Formats: sequence, structure tokens, C-alpha cells
Amino acid sequence: MSNEAALIEAAKNGSAAAFTSLVFSYRERLFRFLLTRTSSFADAEDALQDTLINAYRYLSSYDSRWRFSTWLYRIAINNAAKLKSAGTEELGDLHDEGNDPLAHCIAASDRENLWQCARRQLSDEVYTAMWLRYVEDMSVNDISAVLERSVSWTKVNLLRGRKTLDVELNKNATDHKSKAYG
Amino acid sequence: MDKLALQLREDAEKIDAGISAELDARLAASLHGVKPESVRHPQRESKSFSFWWASSLTGVAAAALIIVVANLRTPEPVPVAAGTTPAPLVAGTTPAPLVLPSIEWNTKSAVLTSPLEQEIDNLQSDLKKAEEVVKQDIDRLF
Repeated sequence: MSNEAALIEAAKNGSAAAFTSLVFSYRERLFRFLLTRTSSFADAEDALQDTLINAYRYLSSYDSRWRFSTWLYRIAINNAAKLKSAGTEELGDLHDEGNDPLAHCIAASDRENLWQCARRQLSDEVYTAMWLRYVEDMSVNDISAVLERSVSWTKVNLLRGRKTLDVELNKNATDHKSKAYG
Repeated sequence: MDKLALQLREDAEKIDAGISAELDARLAASLHGVKPESVRHPQRESKSFSFWWASSLTGVAAAALIIVVANLRTPEPVPVAAGTTPAPLVAGTTPAPLVLPSIEWNTKSAVLTSPLEQEIDNLQSDLKKAEEVVKQDIDRLF
């Protein structure tokens, strides 16, 4: 039995310490993802807290055929969507650069961060698929499980996302060159 | 790893998502009062013999009732419009065959479909080509 499987088993039996060890390595990754999906820093923190609580509470429903991260991301996406449907984004927080958690957390750079472009240009689902693929290295099968979509849908939309961001990347490169040459 | 994948990874790493001590304490405290729920396997209730006996009896009674009601129904007479007399049916005679009016088809429309069919063929072959290109792209990337 792997270390993760042993921790899951212990957490299922009610060990909060085992659960804390289990999710320790996932916390920062989840928080990074949630920062890009929520409209404020506080929302991202709330979503992370809810994700961990729900994961612990419903750990017995976790199916070991899937990777633990797949299951955890599914919960995180649901929590981010819940916050969104609660109407926080209708206040216009996301479009307010001063309140945008992503803008706050990105280190100053001479070009726009591609994930900011992605959030502007891609739908929530395609954005998530791109994130899971290129940041979390998830397989297409796992991504389709997280998004509850078919494998072919996932493949086609990853391709679309790539094409859109490829255009942005080339545009950024051209802008950078033209600035450099005055 | 291609250029875009590399750039996406680098840009994600630029997002500072450190868990502050305050958030860490908050997460630990929030988990403290939570208890994991155990999986509930719904137990199948075994139905008693009398239940099955009663339900089959009800089913048989309902079927018998439907058959009786259907047989008791007499056919309703066909209403005859006032002032008209229905043609008398004489036993042994056959009614005259029904004559349908002939329809004159517009032959011009048939002539026009030929270029449209060609257009559909062209569109279908374009669609096939596009599908193949997308399939190749997907196979190459994933």
C-alpha cells in the first residue's frame, strides 16, 4: 500500500492528522488554482477551506480507481463555482484590477501572464482543462473525469485552448520585438 | 515540452500562492470540528410473502376489470348530419373505388436540385478534410 493510500485509509477512519498530512502537498497547488478562479483573495481562501472540509467529510465516497488529486480538484471546482453563483462576481470584482487576486499574486513581468490572457479568452471549463493539463500534468482521462465531460470533448477543447493561447503568445512575442527595436 | 506548454508552466509558477501562517491556522481549526461521514449502504428491505401475494392479486383483478369494461362497451352510432341521407349499404355490393385528384408536379424544382446536390457533396468533402486535420492535430498533441 502506498503512503497516500495508507493516509487515505487512516483519514477515512477519522484521523485528522492523517488527513492533514495527506492534503499538505495539495494545499498550495489548489490555492494557486483557486486564486485564478475566484474574484478575490478572501474567496480563494474560503474556497480552499471549504474544499478541504468537504474532502475530509466525504472521504468515504472517494473511489481509489481515480487519482486523489482528480477527486480533490473536482471538489475545488464545485466550491469555486458555488462562490461564483453566490453572486460575488456580479459586483464586478473580477474586472477590477485592484481587487483581482491573480493580478496581485503575479510577479511583475514585462509581458502579460498567459493565465491572465487565458482567463479573459477561454471559458471556465476550457481554462480549467488547460490548467489541469499544463500545470497539474493530468492525463486527458483524468481531466475529463474532473470536468465530467467526454474524453473527445476534452481533447477538442484542449486543442481550441492551445490555439487561442498560441495566438496570444505570438502576439506577445511580436509586441516584445517591436518594443525592443523601437 | 513545446513552447506554449513551457510558458504556461512558467507563468503558473509566477503566481504566488504561499499559504500564510494565518490561513494555515484557520485551515487546521476548521478541520478540527469536522467528522468524516461513513458510507451508507442502503439496505434492501425484504418484502414479505403476503406483499407479493397481495400485489399479484391486485394486478389480476385490475386486468379482469379492464377486460370486462372493454367488453361491455357498445359501439357508438355514427352521427349523421341533418339534411343528408347516408348511402344505403346493400349486402353483396362493393363500394366504388376512390378517385384521387392527380397532382401536377413542378418539374422545374427537380432541375434546380442538381447544383445543390453538387454543393452538398463539396461541403461534405470539405467537412471530412477538416475533421481529418483536427484528428491529426489531436493525435499529435495528446
